[in-house]
Amino acid sequence: MLDGSDIYAKGIDPVTIRRRVGMVFQKPNPFPTMSVYDNVAAGLRLNGERNHSVLDRAVQQSLELAFLWDEVKGDLDKSGASLSGGQQQRLCIARALAVQPEVILMDEPCSALDPTATAKIEELIASIKGNYTVMIVTHNMQQAARVSDFTAFLYLGQLIEYGETTSLFENPVEELTERYLTGKFG
Amino acid sequence: MPRLMDMGLEKLRNMVLDMAELSQNTVSTSIDAYVQGRDLRDRIYSWSEELRMLQDEVSELAVELIARYQPVASDLRFIKSCMEVAYGFSRFGRYAHDISDVIGIFGDLSSCDRQAVKEAGSQAKDMIRLSIKAFTERDVELAGRLKKMDDVVDNIYLDFVKKSAHEREGNLKCVVSGTLILRYLERIADHATYVGETVPYIVSGERSARK
Repeated sequence: MLDGSDIYAKGIDPVTIRRRVGMVFQKPNPFPTMSVYDNVAAGLRLNGERNHSVLDRAVQQSLELAFLWDEVKGDLDKSGASLSGGQQQRLCIARALAVQPEVILMDEPCSALDPTATAKIEELIASIKGNYTVMIVTHNMQQAARVSDFTAFLYLGQLIEYGETTSLFENPVEELTERYLTGKFG
Repeated sequence: MPRLMDMGLEKLRNMVLDMAELSQNTVSTSIDAYVQGRDLRDRIYSWSEELRMLQDEVSELAVELIARYQPVASDLRFIKSCMEVAYGFSRFGRYAHDISDVIGIFGDLSSCDRQAVKEAGSQAKDMIRLSIKAFTERDVELAGRLKKMDDVVDNIYLDFVKKSAHEREGNLKCVVSGTLILRYLERIADHATYVGETVPYIVSGERSARK
């Protein structure tokens, strides 16, 4: 459901949904044949944007939001695939931000990254959460506790508990949440 | 299968229980020494110092467990409570030392009426015993009794002060020494209540409002 509408309902345009909901995956997946610039501009071009100055501005803004601009501003023509893993992931986030979605879904965005790259992504999430709804799937509970305001605990496809992050981690209501969080399974 | 953190939690628990026993003995000895007119300042001071050092050790282990295992939920509540309880036990030691100091300052107090101190002391000792039992056994009902017991100590202290304030012919040495000791006992009773308050928090995350 997005704003009360079923996004799987008949007649819903998947392209529109994809514009409203950006996605970042576990493994960084920049378009391998495209430059850094083209990776970020790809979504806007798909949506019909051709104005160079508009594209230039959007690419810079998105890369700045993703904390990547300073590292790549001299190499915008370089292949996106040539960046480090952490940079590639931030490039993917910049690509998602470029089309100004309402929601950004991140599926284990740091699982393939070292602690330094992870810290950058987490700082990035904190810096954009005022303007975007960010939803992260993570198996790293400390990461959930660090970056989120609200946490939902899902187990075997069932929503077990949802609440404010501080309260869920300090004082979970459900016994299953308590056991999962404290590793008292089995 | 035990978790890696369990060994550390067990060690923390045992350290806190060691502190519980020592703090109970320290307070009891200081009250008994006052009632019997014995000067045991050195012994009580050394126990009080030991409690302070043990509190540091509890804090260090708690921080280590947090840094190593990032505990959450009941584990986190337990560790946090151990730090609070260890602080309470260390305060017991400090107040016991203060009580024993009164004899050092005022000398012979055998002519003073010590009934109020005996009553408050007995109540404070019971409260310490009860708070330790409630903490050890995670007994919420038992912990809940402490607040009413605390009121008894508060009232003994307040009654003594009010009575002394209106008494023109009282012995100043007895009034001041009695007030000081009752004040220390009143603080001990407060800390025993705080120890009790950790029990529902550990068990269910419930925080009681402090007066």
